[in-house]
Amino acid sequence: MIFNRRSLLAGVTALGGASFLPGIAHAKGSVIATTYPGTWEDAYRTVVAPMLKKKDDIDLELAPLFAMDQIGKAKAARGAPPFDVFVLDPGPRIVGLEGGLFEKFDATKLGNLSKLPAGFTDDVGVHVSAQVVGIAYNPKKLPAPKGWGDLLKDPWVSRLGITGFQTTFGTSSLIELSKLFGGSLTNVDPALVELKKVLPKIAAVGLPAAMPGLFQQGQCDVMYTNTQTVATLKGKGVDVEFVKPESGAITFFTTMHIAKGSGDIGNAYKYLDLVISKEAQEALTKPPYNFLPVNKDVPLAADMPMKNLDEMANYVQHDWAKINPLRAAWIEKFNKEMAK
Amino acid sequence: MTSAVVTAEIYGERRSLRLAEWQLALPLALAFAALFLAPLLLLVATSFFNDDKITEPGFASWAKFFGDPFNYKVIADTLLLGLKTVCATVIVGYPLALVYMDLSPRLQKVLLFIIIMPMLLSVVVRTFAWIVVLGREGVVNQALLGLGVISEPLRLLQTELGLVISLTQIEMPLMLLPLISVMSRLDPNLRDASAALGASRWRTLFTVIVPLSAPGLVAGCLLVFASSTTAFISQTVIGGVRLIYLPLVIWQQSLVVYHWPLAAVASLSLVVSVLTVIAALSYLGRRSSRHLQG
Repeated sequence: MIFNRRSLLAGVTALGGASFLPGIAHAKGSVIATTYPGTWEDAYRTVVAPMLKKKDDIDLELAPLFAMDQIGKAKAARGAPPFDVFVLDPGPRIVGLEGGLFEKFDATKLGNLSKLPAGFTDDVGVHVSAQVVGIAYNPKKLPAPKGWGDLLKDPWVSRLGITGFQTTFGTSSLIELSKLFGGSLTNVDPALVELKKVLPKIAAVGLPAAMPGLFQQGQCDVMYTNTQTVATLKGKGVDVEFVKPESGAITFFTTMHIAKGSGDIGNAYKYLDLVISKEAQEALTKPPYNFLPVNKDVPLAADMPMKNLDEMANYVQHDWAKINPLRAAWIEKFNKEMAK
Repeated sequence: MTSAVVTAEIYGERRSLRLAEWQLALPLALAFAALFLAPLLLLVATSFFNDDKITEPGFASWAKFFGDPFNYKVIADTLLLGLKTVCATVIVGYPLALVYMDLSPRLQKVLLFIIIMPMLLSVVVRTFAWIVVLGREGVVNQALLGLGVISEPLRLLQTELGLVISLTQIEMPLMLLPLISVMSRLDPNLRDASAALGASRWRTLFTVIVPLSAPGLVAGCLLVFASSTTAFISQTVIGGVRLIYLPLVIWQQSLVVYHWPLAAVASLSLVVSVLTVIAALSYLGRRSSRHLQG
């Protein structure tokens, strides 16, 4: 068969045109939502996407990105966000808020609003999951640590894996460690001084994303992390237990926000309404996803460190508006103190 | 037809040929300008702002970055990592390339496939595989413990030694492919001629093979150096964050604290320092080539 220029062009045009066909088939369009890589991505792809398609005939496209990456990409896009919905922890949420990256949020558009505890929505977004941070350890190799201070003592310190201030759980844990040695929410120097004293003994200093892998491979046997990571590791057959430190576990809420300039605001509200619905939250609470639900009708899993969300009011919470301005300097200091 | 007309016609053809070549190269040149030069200029422009909101022009980001002696250490460590990886890939890769030259065509194909195979895997997968190999309970430690060579697991992960070992494997194809490409074009009779003139195998290697393969060796060194100094995933996952190299600083400044002017300064420092070493290596390569021809 001989192709001439006309037939080649016609073929290419037909192929290009065909790529628009799926768009035509989607009667009610789509929504692009960010999700954290790993468990969040698996859960939302497996649970939430089919539910959204079935309930509202909306295609959910997931963009797996860490919170900091979402803010970075949205800032770089300058008003033309590459996604419609953010999922963020408190620190990046404040950065997004200050950068004017969110659409004004109208909670009354959520059909399931009454199922959320009071204060779980505001004018920029909605709480979708709770997170609890504490200490994870391997019970086959170490006794259970009682609190943050034990991490710097034998036998835990030589099996300790730490991360810096890049993440919410890392920053929160180092603040709590600092408080034990005279520090405060805005003064983490005591933690860095104490860590430096035992630095040669510490088993691993890694990026947050690498820590579960390092724990799984036995490079470290104790680390600070959240309940969800512990549950996920357990699901993979890793020997791991969660300890609520005696000074209290840290808690914070993960929130979702509609990106300013989103072209699918209506679909974004439908997506958010589904995320907080009983059916979605119930499914996300089950293994292997192990989310902490925010819907009042969904009970917490039996192995969680609290019985209900109200108990979380007694947990340690941090004011990220005070932390954020200090974080850049803390990261620099951590680099210098920990560098070989 | 006079000779003048023939010359004019030839020149006319050359002119039209040149025009056609220029037109053909235009899309690539435009794409290059849009996708490489424009972002680079944007990077340079961003570095000349003082604040993270990118509102106040100035030199404060440059002053801050180069006013901190710690950043000089980071730059030096980054370049040193590249040089160590280059040395390791040369030490392991060059003998392998020599072996390749002596193999039958069929075995050469097998070896070539083995060399290329790591490139077929994602760098993330290769990097995480090295955690399994070098980890406290990894293959190396288990083997040494099993053989009774050590009583306590060695610390290989999160050390520079472990990082250089893994980068040597990860970057090896970049060294071997240009090296093999050049070495396979060498006239096999040269070795026989050298031997016939009484040169030992070592003398033949150092006075005939190595100088003639220098262009491939230099190309491989350039690629390995550029790739290993910018290998963020390998550096952070295998090296951990106690080994601080420029890519980690860039990531922290751009995607954790969102201070893009500082991230731009760190990025430009990486580009300039890596290009400087690459220029030096290229110069050495050209000099050795001229020396050979002269």
